[in-house]
Amino acid sequence: MSLTLSNPDNPTGFVAALRKHFFATKLDAVISLVFGALIIWFVMGVVDWAILDAIFRLENRDQCTYEAGACWAVIESRGRLIMFGLYPYAEQWRSTLACFVIIATMVLSCVPLFWSVRRLPALWVGGFTVFVLLMRGGFWNMPLVTSEQWGGLALTLFIFSAVFVIGMPLAVLFALARRSDLPVIAKSFGLIIDFVRSLPLLTILFAAAVVVPLIAPEALQGNKLMRVVVAFAVFFAAYQAEIIRAGMQSTSAGQEEAAIALGMPYWSLVVDILLPQAFRNTLPSTINQAVITFKETSIVTFVGFFELMASGNAAIGTGEWGNQYVEVYVFLAFIYFIFVFGLSRYGAWLETRMRLGHG
Amino acid sequence: MTNSIIKLAGAAALALSGATASSAQEANLLDTIKERDSLLCTGHNGSYLGFAEVDGEGAWQGFDIEFCKALATAILGSPDKLQVIPVSFAQRFPALQSGDVDVIIKVTGWTQSRDTDLGLQFSRPYFIGPFYTMAKTELGAESIADLDGGVFCVNAGTTVERVLADYMETNGVSYEPLAFEKGEELRAAFYNGRCDAIAGFGPFLSATRVNAPDPDGFTILGDVMKLEPEGIVVRQGQEDFLDVINWMVSALLMAEESGITMANVDEMKANPPSPTIERLLGVTPGVGERMGLSDDWAYNVIKAVGNYGEIYDRTVGEGSRYKLPRGLNNLWNNGGVLYPLVLD
Repeated sequence: MSLTLSNPDNPTGFVAALRKHFFATKLDAVISLVFGALIIWFVMGVVDWAILDAIFRLENRDQCTYEAGACWAVIESRGRLIMFGLYPYAEQWRSTLACFVIIATMVLSCVPLFWSVRRLPALWVGGFTVFVLLMRGGFWNMPLVTSEQWGGLALTLFIFSAVFVIGMPLAVLFALARRSDLPVIAKSFGLIIDFVRSLPLLTILFAAAVVVPLIAPEALQGNKLMRVVVAFAVFFAAYQAEIIRAGMQSTSAGQEEAAIALGMPYWSLVVDILLPQAFRNTLPSTINQAVITFKETSIVTFVGFFELMASGNAAIGTGEWGNQYVEVYVFLAFIYFIFVFGLSRYGAWLETRMRLGHG
Repeated sequence: MTNSIIKLAGAAALALSGATASSAQEANLLDTIKERDSLLCTGHNGSYLGFAEVDGEGAWQGFDIEFCKALATAILGSPDKLQVIPVSFAQRFPALQSGDVDVIIKVTGWTQSRDTDLGLQFSRPYFIGPFYTMAKTELGAESIADLDGGVFCVNAGTTVERVLADYMETNGVSYEPLAFEKGEELRAAFYNGRCDAIAGFGPFLSATRVNAPDPDGFTILGDVMKLEPEGIVVRQGQEDFLDVINWMVSALLMAEESGITMANVDEMKANPPSPTIERLLGVTPGVGERMGLSDDWAYNVIKAVGNYGEIYDRTVGEGSRYKLPRGLNNLWNNGGVLYPLVLD
């Protein structure tokens, strides 16, 4: 942090700042005016469409025409389909609750209090168990809802967090194996990583969803959602492993040699020296990877899951609401934005925190 | 790009499934379904307008879904025993081979390669997919010939482009094609009046019309340029199951032919006007038992979903927003090509 001294000759204040930044020269002034007008025009257009001319409640279906602004009534009418997908209507409170459980688990695991080898796994095992029990049901007064019927936001969050939670340890494992002293292990894991990375995610998911049941024995198959999540996690791990490996390589070789010279056991070397630095050095890329993964969850729609995006498509996929696709996509974008923006802010907070603690 | 990857993956999965399916002799699917007490039928990963779409409460509806319900009712006695599995178009055949679904009812054209190479079996067509032309209403055209010299918007490089060219050449109608790469561009151009007409698959055209700024400004012309018979698909070797499907379709058509509807089926069952209807509704025993079903299976089906005409009208026809002309999907005595089989 640097401290700026205010210059007594340079007047401060809003008008002065405005003049200094936007109207310093004639060219600046012209550019500022043109772009200012463009921005105002654009914002006005959006406000007109989204709020002033918009129709929020519907007395008559034909109110929503091409000339009118946004027809938010579509969200009122199809909102539950977008949020819950094919989940049985009467049971959707369970899906809501499950959503909160998974969000709470995500938030809690971001709190430093939970960052210990015992607490973090316990938190996630607990969170997933409650989530699956709620979603699946089949006991007390909660009828069984198989994972084929899960959908909407709950499914998107579940897939994302499961992929992240399974993929991250896998990525560490891949990264360590690729750096192994044994050439067989290093080479074969290098090959696995490169192989997985060279395939499109869609192909991997398709194989997991459709091909595995044809060739694997029944006992090993699990259900379709499980297979897809595991396949997705392996894909995530292949990318994340390279990020972590980059982080490890950026620590000086001297540290590793010193640790070995001091007789530190291998796991201590990894857990106490390599990984903390690797994660800190690669935090921006890791957050990046998490954001990409969150958005890529929508690909599971191709193997027949009704996650958020597919539910949105189903919501407009009827003659009645076919024209309101812009409204629905804006709504979806808003949901994605909340989560992705939250993730980015969290990443930024982590970076500041680490810098404060470790100079 | 995404599409070609899906197709490739689908082809690979099928090559594999073909190999495994032939090696394993499967148990009678009809028994498996009864034991499970639910029928696994195909839905869609999103919506296929009019045929498989989802209502505000997450329940499936549409023409194909009604046939799924009818089949579930025929075998298990209630449409609630249907379980709809969402699958994409590329995924449908692998999903059938791997047993994720029992049956595909998903506007699937009966083609030779599917019937032979893929190890599939088709039912008799339950829907005749027509390629139509939709024109601006203000032109007042009643047939394609009236559009002589007009501008036709088409998707570049699609089947439709070829179908249109063939039809126009055969019938000696001149036209000016205006090709577009993307479906959205095509629609926008059509809505904005850049072309007099577009050609396409019937259900697609009616969906396009529903979403137009002014749906009444466009009319689907009666001329059928080409047709694609759509069948219900099961795995090879499931003859008993296929029998049930064929007779289910036939029962729906027979009901329409004899004027039996969802509303009057009870009355018809109480006073059957003819011996055939007596048999159909299970008043005279025998029609169910031969197929391993209850004798009142057809009664249950009609009670649950109505006859063929009612299903069509409710989901894609005049009673729906799509207003797809009945056309070839009418009964033989109404200018269509559909007919029931003989119930003896």
